[in-house]
Amino acid sequence: MAGVEVVSEQGFRTDGRKPNELRRIRCKQGVFSHADGSAYIEQGNTKVLATVYGPHEIRGSRSKALHDRAYVNCQFSMATFSTGERKQRPRGDRKSTEMTMHMKQTFEATILTQLYPRSQIDIFVEVLQADGGNFAACVNAATLALIDAGIPLKDYVCACTVGFVDDVTIVDINHLEETNHIAEFTVAMLPKSEQFVMLEMSSRLHLDHLSKVMDMATKACKDVHLVLDRAVRDHVSEVWQQLGNT
Amino acid sequence: MKDHPLSNCEEKFVLAAIAENRRFDGRGVYIYRPIVILYGHDRGCCHVQIGCTRVLAQVSCEVIIPKQTRPNEGVLHMNVELSPMACPSFEAGKQSDYGVEVNRALERLLRDSLCIDLESLCIMSGEKVWQIRVDVHVLNHDGNLIDCSSIAAIAALSHFRRPDVTVSGEEVTIHPLDEKDAVPLSVNHIPLSVTFAFFDQGRTLLVDPTDQEERVMDGKMVVGINKHRELCMLHVSGKMLVLQDQVVRCVNIAAARVGEITDLIKDTLEKDNAARKSGKEFGFAKCLADVILGVDDLLKHYVDSMSVDTTSVGQTAKTVVDADGNRVQMEVDNAETGNVSIKVPGTGKMSTNTEGGAVTWCEGEESDSDVILLDKNDSTSSEVSSKQVSAVVELSDSEEESVLMTSQDLERTELSKSRAIETRENRGGRCRGKSFGGRNRGKRGRGNGQRYF
Amino acid sequence: MSCLKQSNLRGFACEQSCLTRSDGSATFNQGETTVLAAVYGPVEVKLSKEHVEKAAVDVIYKPKVGIPGCKEKATEQLIKSTCETVLLVALHPRTAVVIVLQEMQNTGSLLSCCINACCQALMDAGINMRCLVCAVTTTVDQEGHIILDPTSKQEEDGKAVLTFAFDSKTNGVIMTTTSGIYSSQEYQECLLSAQHASAKIFEFYRDSILKKLSRVS
Repeated sequence: MAGVEVVSEQGFRTDGRKPNELRRIRCKQGVFSHADGSAYIEQGNTKVLATVYGPHEIRGSRSKALHDRAYVNCQFSMATFSTGERKQRPRGDRKSTEMTMHMKQTFEATILTQLYPRSQIDIFVEVLQADGGNFAACVNAATLALIDAGIPLKDYVCACTVGFVDDVTIVDINHLEETNHIAEFTVAMLPKSEQFVMLEMSSRLHLDHLSKVMDMATKACKDVHLVLDRAVRDHVSEVWQQLGNT
Repeated sequence: MKDHPLSNCEEKFVLAAIAENRRFDGRGVYIYRPIVILYGHDRGCCHVQIGCTRVLAQVSCEVIIPKQTRPNEGVLHMNVELSPMACPSFEAGKQSDYGVEVNRALERLLRDSLCIDLESLCIMSGEKVWQIRVDVHVLNHDGNLIDCSSIAAIAALSHFRRPDVTVSGEEVTIHPLDEKDAVPLSVNHIPLSVTFAFFDQGRTLLVDPTDQEERVMDGKMVVGINKHRELCMLHVSGKMLVLQDQVVRCVNIAAARVGEITDLIKDTLEKDNAARKSGKEFGFAKCLADVILGVDDLLKHYVDSMSVDTTSVGQTAKTVVDADGNRVQMEVDNAETGNVSIKVPGTGKMSTNTEGGAVTWCEGEESDSDVILLDKNDSTSSEVSSKQVSAVVELSDSEEESVLMTSQDLERTELSKSRAIETRENRGGRCRGKSFGGRNRGKRGRGNGQRYF
Repeated sequence: MSCLKQSNLRGFACEQSCLTRSDGSATFNQGETTVLAAVYGPVEVKLSKEHVEKAAVDVIYKPKVGIPGCKEKATEQLIKSTCETVLLVALHPRTAVVIVLQEMQNTGSLLSCCINACCQALMDAGINMRCLVCAVTTTVDQEGHIILDPTSKQEEDGKAVLTFAFDSKTNGVIMTTTSGIYSSQEYQECLLSAQHASAKIFEFYRDSILKKLSRVS
């Protein structure tokens, strides 16, 4: 794949976006009636489904119960049909376990767990189509699902991927750009306080460009926040109307 | 196994000390514990110690078929094993969450940052490439496993030499080490990780936390960086929220620390190469004798090569063997039911007719080659001390197991057939000789062997 | 008549208490072969492995490269049976003694190095033993000569490799494992030379313990 230009001379990327443009985000809340909260999000071609159950009593071993907080149980899985070649192990391999741990850590920091001691909150995320930025889409979907379930959060958790190639910062990387071994930052943050909940970086990036990249990441997350906020408000007013109120 | 739990008082004490910027070992907040790097006898073997944390890394290579999506790139495979010797809560075999975290951190640091040029590992595009495998074993856990493992892995990769390969047309020749000198891997850059522990909502930072500090911290950040100030990996874990300027501050501190560690690695590599070239001793044994690893000298002991006085061995052995032979002969003569028969050195035969009585269900059916009778009056058992191992013939028409007999045995059974008829009538039954199939009771030593294998 | 070709043992080195988390640990070097052993015990045991009248001995052997397989399991069983003979397991019922071995360098005689490291680690941990144990590897080469403490090349070229483990009180054989073809004369010679060699190793154990405890009043 070497030799494919990520950003052309005119400043356009392979899918016609400008470097600082996000992909189109479409989302919907309340897609499952059975779950306490659920959401579906599409970021470009990446499609993710998230469901939330809880807070409920601890299932399984009682030893997991924490006396002062809720226990957050996450599961990240990629459907076997989500990638170009059939994925052999939907969950349980190293990368999925790592993603699960990151998600757990992200939401343990954001959910007000001290309101629900000795209980459990389950977050299940399934990637239906993977086209880059899988983890970011999962975090966004999980945020929407948690809001749908009515679980109190410190703030929205907005996630985005940022890349750096040829002195250009690009936002919301797709799969083609990922395979080109570019420096990739995955960031999840609370937009109002500008605090990072999760930071992951791979490949090489010179320190001098670090601030530039992080500023771009902050801005991208804030843009994602605007979109998610709009979606939540629309959903709430729709539900309000359906319940027979104006 | 359960690990020692940390008591509440201990936790409070550590946190209070850290709030005053004081650490238990008296270090500064941004200072590393002493790092010791040793190389083993094999190429690609490296042992790193940061304080009391110890890690062993070994690099090996093998030829495999490349991935379809990347036909002209080799493969770098990392495997970090958290051994139960490092910490009682680590389980052998099963990979815990912490194990996955360390594995993925190292994979991203070394593999995704392209520290090894993978295209140079290609032998034949689409058919044969080198797979470089790095096995990292954690020997002792006293905090900061990721840093220690990263130093061990990259030092081992720089130390390793792979066999030279020549490709002529369709033929690929891999030269063994005595034919052609081994080739080093092409290391592009040396990425190292620096771990920061956060306390008090990110207000206090510590570099290189010990195990005690790790247990009470809010969260940690691992910064992977190389000497040229290129960020290779960033990993934040734990339930904490960080600000952008905290990240930038950490990264700058890391950049300062990494330079020193890279120089240390290069230094030790040069020393080891020089020792190998000049024919001096190298390897762990030599290092044990030299380096003071922060422990008392009284715990180490060393003796040079010793010679063992074995002048009388040959004679004594012969006496034993002869005596053994005579004893066996006597036992065979005196035994009521000859269980064990040693016809020829190196083979043994056993019948199980003393367990459960004679086999009676195949009475009436008789074929010469099936039945082997052990006759106590066998006159040919005096050939015990003969040294020749005669040809072994396999008779496989037994329903149970195949029976192995030496050709000498066959002759003897023919001889003893006539005697067999008499003894059979005496004993009133037939027995089927069982071969020593799975239970190999080889010769036992003369000592009191309670266990044998 | 077979004769002894090499009756030299390579230099020994050992370091005790090298690990901080385990109850006992030791590194044992035979020439360039190095093995690190760690012992936990007596510790709690899983119900499935529990014995009502004795301690369960669990051995974990980790090779340097690759994933442990059948060969490693076989080595574990050998070492386990040796240790069960030597430890006074009846003194600690319903517990487990866990021994973890890590191969650090292998230039021949690996199994005997493992058992020696094991014994030193058990001494360091202070678990009750009825006697000390040491192991010696011998090889019979193609001409029928016996080689003590062989290197990897000598082991490969030889026609048989025999390892014996001895106890310190009676110098009797606790464990024997062999691979290859050999005559009973060769076997006896190997056994006797190994017994002579084991005396040296027990001397080494004694000296190292005396040194370790010399400062303790």
